[in-house]
Amino acid sequence: MPSPRLYILSVDKDPTEASRISKQAAKQIQDKELKLLDLVQSLGEYLTDDDKTTRAKAIGYLSSVLEYLDPKTLSRQQVAVIVQFLCDRLEDETGLKETSQGLFALQKSSRFGKEEATLVSSAICKVDLQKHPQGTRFAVLTLIDGLMANQRDALKAMGGKFITSFTELVGGEKDPRNLMIVFSLVRVILVEFDIVPHIEILFDVVYCYFPITFKPPPDDPYGITAQDLKLRLRECIASTKYFAGHIFPQLIEKLDSTSLSVKKDVLQTMTACALSYGPQTISAHSTQLWDAVKFEVLNSAEEDELATGALSVIRAIAETLSFGLKSPPRAASPLARYLSGIVKECLKLLQEPQQKQAKPAGKILSKSATASTVAHSFIVEKTMPALLLIHSDADGLAKQRALMEILNLLLESTLEIFGTWGDLTAEQVLSNPLTEYTDKLFEMYSRALMGSLREEMSLRITALKGLVLLCRIRRLFQESEIGMVVQYFDQVLLEVEEKEEIKELALQGLKDISKIKPNLIMDITFPAFMAQLPDSEKEVDPSKPYIATLEALAKLSLGRSVFQVLLTRLLNKLDVVLRGKSGPMYPRAILSTLLYVLRKRPESSQEDIRTYFARLVVPLLTKTITPIVDNSSEFSDFRIMTDDSILDVTGRLFNIIIRSLDFEEQINVSRQLINIFVLGIPSDYIPKTHAEIVARDFKPLQPTANREHAGCTILFTYALAGLRREVVLSTLSIPELIQQNVELATRTAHPTQRMAHLYLIALLANKWMKKPGDSDLLQKLTADLLESVSSSILGSREYDSLVGQKLQTLLWIAKAIVVRGDRYGTEVIEKVIGLLGDKNYGPTASKGFAVLLGDDEFITKDNYAIIRPLTKQKIFTFCVPKIVEGFRTADSTTKPNYLIALSNILRNIPSTVILPELGRLLPLLLQSLDLPDPNVKSATIETLLITVTESADAMKEHISSLSARLLNACMNREENPPRIRSAALRCLGAFPGVVRTDLLLPYKRQVIRSLMAVLDDPKRNVRKEAVDCRAKWYSLDDPEN
Amino acid sequence: MDGKNANPTILNASDLPTRRQVQRKKVASPLTSGLVPAYAQDPFASHKVEFSDSDESEDDSVVEPIDEQEIYDLIATIADPEHPLTLGELAVVNLQHIKVIDDPSAIISNVLVELTPTINHCSLATVIGLGVRVRLEQALPPRFRLDVRIREGTHATGEQVNKQLNDKERVASALENETLMGVVGKMLETCK
Repeated sequence: MPSPRLYILSVDKDPTEASRISKQAAKQIQDKELKLLDLVQSLGEYLTDDDKTTRAKAIGYLSSVLEYLDPKTLSRQQVAVIVQFLCDRLEDETGLKETSQGLFALQKSSRFGKEEATLVSSAICKVDLQKHPQGTRFAVLTLIDGLMANQRDALKAMGGKFITSFTELVGGEKDPRNLMIVFSLVRVILVEFDIVPHIEILFDVVYCYFPITFKPPPDDPYGITAQDLKLRLRECIASTKYFAGHIFPQLIEKLDSTSLSVKKDVLQTMTACALSYGPQTISAHSTQLWDAVKFEVLNSAEEDELATGALSVIRAIAETLSFGLKSPPRAASPLARYLSGIVKECLKLLQEPQQKQAKPAGKILSKSATASTVAHSFIVEKTMPALLLIHSDADGLAKQRALMEILNLLLESTLEIFGTWGDLTAEQVLSNPLTEYTDKLFEMYSRALMGSLREEMSLRITALKGLVLLCRIRRLFQESEIGMVVQYFDQVLLEVEEKEEIKELALQGLKDISKIKPNLIMDITFPAFMAQLPDSEKEVDPSKPYIATLEALAKLSLGRSVFQVLLTRLLNKLDVVLRGKSGPMYPRAILSTLLYVLRKRPESSQEDIRTYFARLVVPLLTKTITPIVDNSSEFSDFRIMTDDSILDVTGRLFNIIIRSLDFEEQINVSRQLINIFVLGIPSDYIPKTHAEIVARDFKPLQPTANREHAGCTILFTYALAGLRREVVLSTLSIPELIQQNVELATRTAHPTQRMAHLYLIALLANKWMKKPGDSDLLQKLTADLLESVSSSILGSREYDSLVGQKLQTLLWIAKAIVVRGDRYGTEVIEKVIGLLGDKNYGPTASKGFAVLLGDDEFITKDNYAIIRPLTKQKIFTFCVPKIVEGFRTADSTTKPNYLIALSNILRNIPSTVILPELGRLLPLLLQSLDLPDPNVKSATIETLLITVTESADAMKEHISSLSARLLNACMNREENPPRIRSAALRCLGAFPGVVRTDLLLPYKRQVIRSLMAVLDDPKRNVRKEAVDCRAKWYSLDDPEN
Repeated sequence: MDGKNANPTILNASDLPTRRQVQRKKVASPLTSGLVPAYAQDPFASHKVEFSDSDESEDDSVVEPIDEQEIYDLIATIADPEHPLTLGELAVVNLQHIKVIDDPSAIISNVLVELTPTINHCSLATVIGLGVRVRLEQALPPRFRLDVRIREGTHATGEQVNKQLNDKERVASALENETLMGVVGKMLETCK
């Protein structure tokens, strides 16, 4: 048998060893090698030790063994003996914690019976608990908690004796962890025990903790928050209706507290009580509560937490009083009496609906109406006649509007109670009390929206919102009425004179209606809108701008079935427009509409975008290419399709659709497109009549191609961008195609076509140059291009534009390989940095950093490009020291190149990456502010703005030079366009509040005085920024004043 | 009659006069916004049109004069000292009661602001007037001469208040009163 001595010695120093010892003893007892009673006896000498801690540790040993013991090991008799033994030990309170732990272990045993429970609880409740430390109290409370869980009947049988001694035991507890247990114990007592004779004692135990003002210490090991305590205490308070008479007067008094959090707690506690005390109890207190909380609503501003809390109380009372009611309450019923009081008071305030307390009164009515169907019926029936009367008597539109706002609140409640069309919830049995007023409401709202002057914005907006609600409420309006509303909204949307604000709401209204009645949108809105679209640009009626109509159509067509209809109708319209020999604008707008919808569709419907390949890509391809190879075809009027601006949108449609095709489909598409654009082989995509002619004459990638043909390259580029990189372009030699495009890109006189070639090169290099050896080819290509730049630098003093084009081409190739992480990329970048020092090609090289780091729409993840994570960060780290060094040694003519390069980098890098390097960059940034280029300045100020807000410390040595430059930027109108002046002011205004005040004070006078001149800037926006900036500097507190 | 109106009439924020509608017209249709054609996105283009010339707000030759609406915007967002509402919402400040005579060629231009207290014995009329005055002094170029007064017939002691508000020395001494400046500072905090 392990000696108790060993345990006693090690328990403090080596708890693991101590528990090993007790585990061993427990095992021996289980294996019948040791008798528990022998173990108890062996403790004897230690239990009489003079040292208190030794006595406690000895009991601790026993408890620890009991804990490790399988509960079934001990016989009923053994349990009884040990319980008795431990209860006797309670007289020696030094071992209270250990004894409690032992008893806790024992009470888990099935052989621990009712008698033991009674014995233990009587004994433990005699202890003077509050003089013990919190850990000991915790052990005792845990023991009682265990008894409450396993031996509740025994505790109940003890009756009042347990309740009184328990309340004495826990009285004065302050530790949060212990309180969590106390509250849950009290709650069980309140709910399950016979407490009627003890209400006051129990109430005192609970209420003394209200309100909880506990703040957890920063290193709180138990993670108990004030909120946890509040919730548990609230559950206690709300758990018995017998508290009602005590708690409500107290809570009402506490509502006068000045602390926001106390008031919130009070209101939430009231709500919890109102919901749980039951109708009988609540009816006795309803008036008193209403009188107490109404002021919190009536005197509140918008979005006030206390108002929300008070509204919940008001609603909770109505909900409880509605309990069991199936039909509208009789006048004498508690619910009717309660609501009558509210209705009377609110209606009085609503007589002047524009006054401050009217809206809160409306909120009270609408919130109470959401308590139950019967409460809703009562409130609607008692208020509608009066509200309608106030409306019809109103002497001004503003008053009418204010009243309609109130009605809208009631409509919202009705929607909440009765639901909307197609809701899956069961319908209410009670009929909707608003039905009686439907005609009146429809008439009133329709007149306000359509019959008032167009300028009566807020009245009409209120009416519009109300109509949407009326349409949505289940089974309120007839379909014909909703149809009328749809027509109103159509009219608002189509009217060019209407303001954006109301149009947006009308559109949103139509969207809402399309969810409940999609047929009405298809049958009414679609035809009406399509009829607005002119057949040609020449017919455009300024009062019916097609862009707005198309925009509205697009926004309503995000649903699948609606889009099918839109697609058919717009493609027909496109043909009609093209046949009328249109300019580029209108066809482009039609195609943009389709693109808008495809882009806005949710991810989930990407699948069916595929299906539009045949309906959209193939016909558009034909309509674009055939007219330029055959002048006599039926499409001869369609030549405008090769206008650059139309080609761009067509290309984007190709891209987004091809992107969502599956792998096999993409292989097929890639072959057909290569046949058409590169190889000159007849393709199935072109109608038989023209397939041969296209194959023979359409050669967009030949140097001899005319502008229309060459312009079509962009379609190929967009299409290729959408292909997965695993789709092998087997019929092509990629290096050859790249080389060919490099030639075209450097030779073409058209910037538009050059971009198409450059993007194509970058795509091919990034996605399809992955084979071994490809890298060498790319290296050779870039080396050749670089070589022509350096030989030009050596050979001539003049800028050669052909060489400039080559350098641009080089940078696009570099981008393609840099983003995929090729090591060779950094070598190219280093060479480009070297070029910054050249007076001829330095400016081009500096802009090249916008290519290297900027985002474009082709090399993206969505387009399956290879993009290594963190490349931007790597380029940043690689470039910055070299640029800083280059700047230092550069002469004054080329210094700006370094600053422009830097600004192009900063513009494209997240600020978190920049911040660590800031110290090094600040001197350069300050000099950038002296450059005339507004783009550089704008990028620099952006960076500085981020820096000021996120890393003000880095700035502190530069405040003097920085503020001087920013002041110059906002005062010198010659050099700085309004946007720069505004940005400079914003930046300057960001200083106060983030930079230490004492560092700023020396400049306060100067800043405020200099800005006085900016207050007279010719531009309003700049003046506004100046006022704000000045206000911030004014508010800097000068300790000397 | 404690000089406080607990239930004043308030104007809906969306009904207050504003320049916002005008500005919104300039926003392009979402159909085409974000659709800069690929060919127009060349970083090498020599005159990159980031600052579009057609945008009037970027053209310094189009002068936007300081007008009534601008004055209104400066003071309508001042908070009322006793309600959680702005002077605009309480209709203490009204666009039609502001007059600006701005003649850049003259040495002095004038701004007249007439305030309408929520009740005619409002005890805080002077403080509100002072707040408006301080705001305008900080926000307008010095060539403007300010006249802030209580609108005739809207306040029992209007004349007296007006005298206080437009007496340079009395304003100056009020500005040195710390408690008073504390109240004014609070009122100006909400200025947008």
